Amino acid sequence: MKPPPLLLGAALLFWGWQSGLFWVGTGLAIVVELAAIIRVRWDFSNEDFERIWTLCSFLLLAMVLFAFAQNDGLSTFNSLLENNLDPRRTTLTTARTASNVMRWLPMVFFPFLIAQTYSTRDTIPLATISHILQRRWKMANRLGHRLPPSRGFNVGYPYFCMVLLAASFHSSEGYSYFFGFCVLLGWALWALRSRRYSLGVWVAIIAVAGVAGFFGQRGITQVQRYIVGINAQWISRWMRRTDDPFQTRTAIGQLGVRKNSSAIAIRLKPNESGEVPPYLREATYRRYGEGQTWFAGSSRDDFSSINEVPASATNQPYWPLVDKRTWGSVQVSCYLDGSENGLPTGMLPLPSGAARLERLMAFNMKVNSAGTVLVQGPGLLVFDAHYGYGPTYDSAPGTNTRRNNRQFDTNAPPRDFAGGPERRGEGGFRGEGRGEGRGPGGGGGGGRRFGFRPVPDEDVDVPPAEEPFVQAVLEQLQLTTNTPQREVIARLKGFFDNQFSYTMWQGVKGLKLADDETPLGHFLLKNRKGHCEYFATATVLLLRQLGIPARYATGYAVHEKSGDEYLVRFSDAHAWTLVWNKNRNTWEDFDTTPASWVETERDAMGSLLWLRDAWSRFKFELAKFRYGQSNVRKYLLWIIIPGMLLLLYQIVFRRGRKLQRQKADAEFFANWPGLDSEFYRLEKQLGDRGVIRGDAEPLGDWLRRVLETPGLGELRAPLEEVLRLHYRHRFDPHGLNAAEREALRHETSRCLNTLSAAKTA
Amino acid sequence: MMRPILYLLYRVYRLISWGTYFTKRRFTILGQGIFGAVCVAMVTAMDVDGAVGYQAVIPLLAVLLIAFVFSLRFRAQFAFERKLPRVVTAGQPFPYRVVVKNLTPKTQAGLTLIEDLADPRPTFAQWREFKLDEDRHVRPFRFQRRDFRSPFKMASVKEVEVPTLRPGQSGEVTLEITPLRRGFVRFVGLTIARPDPLGIYRAVRREPLAQSLVVLPKRYPLPPIALPGGMKYQQGGVAMASNIGQSEEFVSLREYRRGDPPRHIHWRSWAKAGKPIVKEFEDEFFVRHALILDTFTPRPFSDVFEEAVSVAASFACTVLTQESLLDLLFVGPEAFCFTAGRGLAHADQMLEILASVRPCQTDSFAQLETLVVNHANSVSGCICVLIDWDEKRRKFVEKLRLLGLPLLVMVIRPAGKTTPLELGPMSDAPGNLQSLEVGRIEEQLAQLR
Repeated sequence: MKPPPLLLGAALLFWGWQSGLFWVGTGLAIVVELAAIIRVRWDFSNEDFERIWTLCSFLLLAMVLFAFAQNDGLSTFNSLLENNLDPRRTTLTTARTASNVMRWLPMVFFPFLIAQTYSTRDTIPLATISHILQRRWKMANRLGHRLPPSRGFNVGYPYFCMVLLAASFHSSEGYSYFFGFCVLLGWALWALRSRRYSLGVWVAIIAVAGVAGFFGQRGITQVQRYIVGINAQWISRWMRRTDDPFQTRTAIGQLGVRKNSSAIAIRLKPNESGEVPPYLREATYRRYGEGQTWFAGSSRDDFSSINEVPASATNQPYWPLVDKRTWGSVQVSCYLDGSENGLPTGMLPLPSGAARLERLMAFNMKVNSAGTVLVQGPGLLVFDAHYGYGPTYDSAPGTNTRRNNRQFDTNAPPRDFAGGPERRGEGGFRGEGRGEGRGPGGGGGGGRRFGFRPVPDEDVDVPPAEEPFVQAVLEQLQLTTNTPQREVIARLKGFFDNQFSYTMWQGVKGLKLADDETPLGHFLLKNRKGHCEYFATATVLLLRQLGIPARYATGYAVHEKSGDEYLVRFSDAHAWTLVWNKNRNTWEDFDTTPASWVETERDAMGSLLWLRDAWSRFKFELAKFRYGQSNVRKYLLWIIIPGMLLLLYQIVFRRGRKLQRQKADAEFFANWPGLDSEFYRLEKQLGDRGVIRGDAEPLGDWLRRVLETPGLGELRAPLEEVLRLHYRHRFDPHGLNAAEREALRHETSRCLNTLSAAKTA
Repeated sequence: MMRPILYLLYRVYRLISWGTYFTKRRFTILGQGIFGAVCVAMVTAMDVDGAVGYQAVIPLLAVLLIAFVFSLRFRAQFAFERKLPRVVTAGQPFPYRVVVKNLTPKTQAGLTLIEDLADPRPTFAQWREFKLDEDRHVRPFRFQRRDFRSPFKMASVKEVEVPTLRPGQSGEVTLEITPLRRGFVRFVGLTIARPDPLGIYRAVRREPLAQSLVVLPKRYPLPPIALPGGMKYQQGGVAMASNIGQSEEFVSLREYRRGDPPRHIHWRSWAKAGKPIVKEFEDEFFVRHALILDTFTPRPFSDVFEEAVSVAASFACTVLTQESLLDLLFVGPEAFCFTAGRGLAHADQMLEILASVRPCQTDSFAQLETLVVNHANSVSGCICVLIDWDEKRRKFVEKLRLLGLPLLVMVIRPAGKTTPLELGPMSDAPGNLQSLEVGRIEEQLAQLR
């Protein structure tokens, strides 16, 4: 099938217009359409078309390399060598390179189109572009067989499709591409329409298709953007967890079983001392509000960036949290299962007292005043967390409370994580702030929605609704604001250990609340059964009621050893209390949940845990490779480089080596001693009689076989003598003397004569 | 363990071949192009910000959908009559006619006639056998050595356009069938396809019309060959010697052949023609040749075996004249001997037998030996078509030589195997051992003397 006149020219003009290469497109279109005026045609052979195809392939390769270099590909490649790959940059480079190459395709394959347009042929054999068919042709040629048949094709329509595809690689918002595409498609369809139907039917169908296409393609944009817009992080939270850096909705007061997945969330490997921290903290919250939810409070939008400290003579690069001495370190491997602007995002689980993070391949890191560390990076992070006693990266009690009060009053929009309200929607993490944050105008500062009141210090604030129950417990324990903090801690620990029990199940009976009774109050005074969120919340509020600053921390408990590493599962997710030690000026972990919770969670895991763990291991290793956290890339490079060198050597020197070898072989055979022996003539003649000497078959053995054939009995003695002389001529270092040489010649000649005579007879 | 995986692959193969069949049947070439374009446009539509390819998806889909809607209603009635030859030859395109009658009250134009052959897809056992054999003989990723043509597809028929038919009018169309291999081609029906206005997707209407066709093996032209051996007394006697023999009844003259008694030379004709001419008589002495076909190969589909059958068929056609008898000897499910010539049977019948010969995968070469030795007394000479030249076959030939039978041995060898053959038992008659390489058989047969 050949395209109708002017279709290819029009398509090239359209491509030039759409891709910003109008003059190039015009030039190509003129060259194609001039074929209708210029009558000169070339008689290209199949080999010529093969060569032109090879040229186009090389052009494509050159275009790819050029586009790769132009789009910062070389520096991206450089980062591969340093094992410091930035997936965001890599993705961008790949996308831009692919886009450029696709856009330039009509130029790349133009020589092939022109070769056909100006050739005497209407079709080109498929074998010119198919390597497999080419090899078959070459093999058939070599063996002297008939060439296998090959179908022919006209380049016109495939090239037309390629031009339309190439014209689509730009990001214009208008509909020019749509209208141009429809016109060209209609043109192409017109030439190939069925003659069974009238013109009116055809026009009506094309019109319907065009209108449907116009409205449909607007819809597709919406659908696609909607799909892309679904926040993967939101989904993952909804599936598994209920917390984010800004709030955590507890299950306090909810019916049923609180059960988490036994999938492995984090892997820990102790580095030096073999010890691991008992807790990995992800987030800290400061205000307890309506809906049994903990909020980050004033720490919600005070994230500040942390920059990586570059490598120095003494240190490798690291992310600093607190400047202090550390006594231990642990290797943490965790997934970033959230997503923001297409990049994996998440809260970093860190040991208490973490001071600096090494080998962390994050793109950026932010910390808020409550001590929540947010990172963006590859989907899997493997890093060393160094920790020690002393100050932590959490802010002191009461930080920002005043600003927070002011902010709630003015109903100002929350600051963007990436740098301010003006960048909303463009990049960086946004404070989603469900519940606490978003106001009706999409702004934030929704404190009023939950009735937050201005407080002097968030870290000692107890909601008025909970106050009576907390006070009742304190009275029961005879604790007052004057009781020393150490004693308070000890009594509270004893209180919860002795009078409470751990349960993942909350029945209707356990939650039957009296008027004005809160779920927490019911837990403290009546039910006395609950999970870690009850214990942690109650402890925070009890401490705060006594004027001791406390915060609600969430994260994971570390207790399960497996080989030389520790496994932390989603079911190990835990909540505990951070209590302010005013003597040391630091926050300390205080966990009042009965220790039996670990066993209770473990019992609920089921018997096929090993299988899930094996699968999890496999996924982990795969993720390590995918996100460049293993050394495989480095080794890969070392494997690739010799391979490439070998290939280069083969390409450059192979031909030379072959020539050299042929030359050497020729020299060797030319100087072969005894090559002039007449015996070879005898061998040939005997071979013609049907007894062919096998490869590497000794002449003696072969002669024995020859002599077994009938009619050669009388030649036995002369032949054996000739063979003896031949061997001496070939291998005797002294060679033959003149008489023996003559004897060889004479005897051979006699045998040959006898054989010829026998043949004639 | 292997069987479930293979079965899964077999189901995938069936699905893909069904998909290919459906696509070719329902979509025109333009339709196939549009379908491909939709797939590409959908890929580019993934990124609505980077490319505007998504704008092409809906128009293309709309075009496809409209074409599909047009194909939903096609109730035209047609009557067909297919005029087939009795036999055709493998590899030779052959035209045949189909009469199409329009039974609708409307004029029908722009229709296409498609021939429906029986489903060529093999059973699981056949497919498995073929695949395992292919994997044993072709190394992985040697695509240029792999034959992508299905060994199960018997023939291909090009579709043709039907001329415009007024109501009740009949028209004749000529289709061209290309039999791809020997055997039977089974026709199951005929399909009329009607394209949509855009010429993308076709509505089809199928009418059953079962017929079959014998495909004879491919044959090569042979030069005039002086076959070894002279006349022999035939026990069947005159009953078998319907025309030519050696009775006192003079029948005709013919050219001298080696072995003819000198007393039969017709001297006057020699003087006229300048070359020896002999008289032919009617009697029970006549020439009888055996054509031995080696069917013993472990491969279910082998080029070498197919070529051996073709060579045997070429000999059967050329040698079988009114003057001689030819026995075809081979082992299939059992030892088999078929005699033709001298009014007993025609070459066509022998070719039909050769059309259905299958490789014998059991190693029962002894059966062939027994069969041939039993016939040795009555035959003047043997033509052996062998598919290998191993020790077993050399011994077989040696045995025949010891029986004093003149032999012409053809050894078919795979393409590219050009090393000379070890003469072995044929060392005293090297000219009667011929190596034939697949791909060059025609050329090498032409060199026979």
